[in-house]
Amino acid sequence: MAQNKTQYDFRSTLIDKKIIAAINNGVIVLDSDLTIHHYNKWLEIHTHMKEEAVLGKRLTEIFPQIKEKTLLRKIKTALRMHTPTYYTATVSHYLIPIKINQIENSHFTYMQQDVSIIPFDEENELVALILTDQTNMANTNALLAAHVEKIKELNEQLLKEKELTEIQHKQLLANSRSAAMGEMISMIAHQWRQPLSLISTLLANIKIKKELHTLDEKSMNNSFEKIDETVKYLSETINDFRDYFKPNKVKSEVQLQELFGKSIFFLKDEMTQYNIAYKPDIEDDLTLYTYKNELLQSIINIIKNSIDAFKSNDITSDKKITVQAKGYKQHLCVMIEDNAGGIDEKIIGKIFEPYFSTKNKNGTGLGLYMCKVIITEHLHGTISIESEGNGTKVAINLPYSL
Amino acid sequence: MNELTLTEDEKDVLQELMNIAYGSATAVVADMLEAFASLSIPNIKIMTVSELLKTFQELKSSSYFFSSQAFSGEFNGESAFFINEESANNLAKHLELENRADLDDAILELTNVLTSSLTTKLAQEMETEVSFSLPNILKIPLEEMEGVETFQLYSQVIVIDTNLNFQDQKINGKIFILTKDESILWLKTKLNTILDQLL
Repeated sequence: MAQNKTQYDFRSTLIDKKIIAAINNGVIVLDSDLTIHHYNKWLEIHTHMKEEAVLGKRLTEIFPQIKEKTLLRKIKTALRMHTPTYYTATVSHYLIPIKINQIENSHFTYMQQDVSIIPFDEENELVALILTDQTNMANTNALLAAHVEKIKELNEQLLKEKELTEIQHKQLLANSRSAAMGEMISMIAHQWRQPLSLISTLLANIKIKKELHTLDEKSMNNSFEKIDETVKYLSETINDFRDYFKPNKVKSEVQLQELFGKSIFFLKDEMTQYNIAYKPDIEDDLTLYTYKNELLQSIINIIKNSIDAFKSNDITSDKKITVQAKGYKQHLCVMIEDNAGGIDEKIIGKIFEPYFSTKNKNGTGLGLYMCKVIITEHLHGTISIESEGNGTKVAINLPYSL
Repeated sequence: MNELTLTEDEKDVLQELMNIAYGSATAVVADMLEAFASLSIPNIKIMTVSELLKTFQELKSSSYFFSSQAFSGEFNGESAFFINEESANNLAKHLELENRADLDDAILELTNVLTSSLTTKLAQEMETEVSFSLPNILKIPLEEMEGVETFQLYSQVIVIDTNLNFQDQKINGKIFILTKDESILWLKTKLNTILDQLL
């Protein structure tokens, strides 16, 4: 019976030793003075040192890098508490310096280790140090931390870019405003050319008649009246333009017929000059409550684009621009159509993008982009464009009230 | 009453057990710190996690180190140690630590010492055994504490407010023992057995 027990003990001891030799962890048995009492196979392989060579030596003698004071404290505490103490890879990185074969992208030269100091023989003050390789985990963590850092960086960059885009957007609005103003000046020039030449002709007539002594009071008064009328007209034109450029950010009631009347007034001389027929079909009493000048700017822009298309595409006959406006239950719809040559389907998708222009030198590429911004963002409507054959159709849907 | 909340009597017993366990931890901590350190009489409270999160809110002002260690067994959960930056620096001075990694290691050690000796002792009083995982250190801004998902796993928290006093340096820390719902039922049974023995 006793023999059986001894045999059993013997066998289990063998098993214990075999297991300790076979496990994938480093096992060192130390006493409270750091003298080595066991050094397992795993450690022999990883540190290239045989157990016989280290037994009886102090651990700090073999690895002088180890901070003796800390290790002593941890061992003492473990023995005192009867529970393990630890070194963690995240904080202490490693206890026994073991160079690792370079894994691709590895952050570490030495194996990262979790070490548990287990008090197992309190009488003889023996502890077992169990080393676990945590290099993979530490690598993953380091990678993760690097990625998190990168994401933070990118995020900051994104925020900065967003800010920049907002500034650029404001700049863009300002640009389009000045572009529109430039166009407006050229429209005023168009508008003024004819009345100015009328005044000049009338004045020349008076001068000739005076020199020929044929100037009678009636024809002179007649001429003066005409000049007076024309000057008044010029002055009105200026007023209209100025009104249009007032930065009025107030919503007001807008009569669509009146609005189109005004936009056509700005453009009619140019249309007459190029023989473009303007055919409005606007329902009576269509009114909406919105930002009047912004809507006007958009409509002028679209009609001006049609006129420019007639000019550049050299259309010679039957030129016309049709405007239709209809009221529906929830919204009203404005359709502006021309037969100025149409738009290539390859570029129609880009037409509302900023800085996209088909006009070679005079275009800023902001006109239709601004129309889109104004109609969708400021006026809460929609704008779409389609082209078939020679014709182009712009459809604008607007709510009755903002 | 919620079956997961402790009654007043149960709380009393647990508090008493904590006092005993704390007494034994004191001596070990003093050893570890190689100095004459006295631990103040602890202020022990048992609260719910939502109350705990409120406590964190009140601590918002200063920077804290937060370390935790899971324990398993019949009685299982996680113990955590909270130490503010000033106290951590005092600890570093006392142990003559050279760098941040050494300080982190010392805090982990203190966590391990305080929580495992407390938990082991508490488990012993309740005639069971516990096993510990490696401690873990975090530096979470307190305002993000509520977002820490693991807190949602726990319902009851034992909070121990402790002061380690040295000749001229004070180290103040808070120990939390968080228990999972499943072990609360076990805990209640144990506490009631002890209660019955007392009566």
